[in-house]
Amino acid sequence: MRTGPALTRRTRLVVTSAIVAALIAPVAFDRDSFPLSTYPMYSRARSGESTLITARGITNDGEPRELTPTLIGDSDDPLVVVGRLRAALSAGRGDVRCAEIATRVSGRDALADVASIEIVAERHDTVARTLDEGSLIEREVRATCEVERP
Amino acid sequence: MNRVLDAEAPATRLAAFRIVVGVFVVVYLIGRSPVFLALADRPAADFEGVGILAPLSSPPSSGILTALIVVALATGVATTLGWRYRPSVIVFALTMLVLTTLRGSWGQLLHFENLMVIQLLVLAGSPAADAWSIDARRSNGDQRGNGDEKSIRYGWPLAVAGLVTVVTYVITGIAKLRYGGLDWLSGDTLQNHIAYSAARLDLLGGNKPVLAEIAVRQEWVLGACAVGAVAIELGAPVVFLGRRFRNVWVAAAWLMHVGIFLTMAVGFPSPLFGAAFVPFFALERIPPWVTNRLGRKRTVSVAS
Repeated sequence: MRTGPALTRRTRLVVTSAIVAALIAPVAFDRDSFPLSTYPMYSRARSGESTLITARGITNDGEPRELTPTLIGDSDDPLVVVGRLRAALSAGRGDVRCAEIATRVSGRDALADVASIEIVAERHDTVARTLDEGSLIEREVRATCEVERP
Repeated sequence: MNRVLDAEAPATRLAAFRIVVGVFVVVYLIGRSPVFLALADRPAADFEGVGILAPLSSPPSSGILTALIVVALATGVATTLGWRYRPSVIVFALTMLVLTTLRGSWGQLLHFENLMVIQLLVLAGSPAADAWSIDARRSNGDQRGNGDEKSIRYGWPLAVAGLVTVVTYVITGIAKLRYGGLDWLSGDTLQNHIAYSAARLDLLGGNKPVLAEIAVRQEWVLGACAVGAVAIELGAPVVFLGRRFRNVWVAAAWLMHVGIFLTMAVGFPSPLFGAAFVPFFALERIPPWVTNRLGRKRTVSVAS
């Protein structure tokens, strides 16, 4: 089976050039998008201290309880979870996101002792954290909400 | 440029590319379908369309989303088999473009699926079902041997797909020097990125990447890895210099992705599973080689 003649060299040159131009356009304009991208992930210099956004449960006794990425962001991808938390906070929708997490937590029997949810911004020495050493520098609660159960 | 424009290949090589990319994307879509389906549950207020979805002010309904996934799967299988190839591959590429764009349209641009989708779009513009396909069997009948003839028709699309891989890597290398500067080449930045990924996962209640702790302790190794990563990315064009250069670069790039996955739990599926590198290899030689090996074994066992 043959499906039509080969393109002329000139046409191949134009098409190839157009594809390369499309690929490098985001770099030229410094504008990230999808699927054409500047691929900025992990490209910036990063210090050893970082502020990380997360959410945690607080029990009736005031003790913190670790949640999972799925409970926090309805995804197993940490990039997505953190991205959605950041987007909600910067849009002033932290309370809404907090309520969504509380709803997911309320359905988990294993977390029956969790009375409230906090969305927090924590500043850590990330190298120390990775090595299981003391790392917390600062914690700021950005949103809080109750876990309501029927 | 001439190596791309005048590249020749048999129809079977482009067909092998179609089959590998088709299988990879279909399996990827099946595996990630819960993630794609879950997009329907996200609050419409968080939607921020990017790319081709930028004109949309709200996300598509769950019905449309489900239909897109079903259509992508059906046309993906048809593309892989080479059945009604032309309309199938175009619809497959476009639905995958919409689905993956949608995934990045919630305030967080993701960069895992770019290369996969762009190569799929290149495939959509190529005559990749002229061999090893249902379409070819139907129309060829007794002329199946034609797939071995080399032609620019089959070599050029493959070379363009390879060029897409090369340019993508060069851009990632440029990004590190542009946004991170020479600081990126010190082991500190890489150490901090690995530590940041591990701490982020840890704080979200996930497991730290397998080799994160070990890697963070090896500062001197990370310095070499940082320079190596940028060298691999900027050096991607060497794949066009010949077989040895190609083999060394592909092995280095693949190992880099394995390292990224083990230390940062960040997986770029297309290069990690090899699909991004397929255009560089003569995969059509594998089936005859396997057949020969099996034939030899049978001959030996019959003789003995």
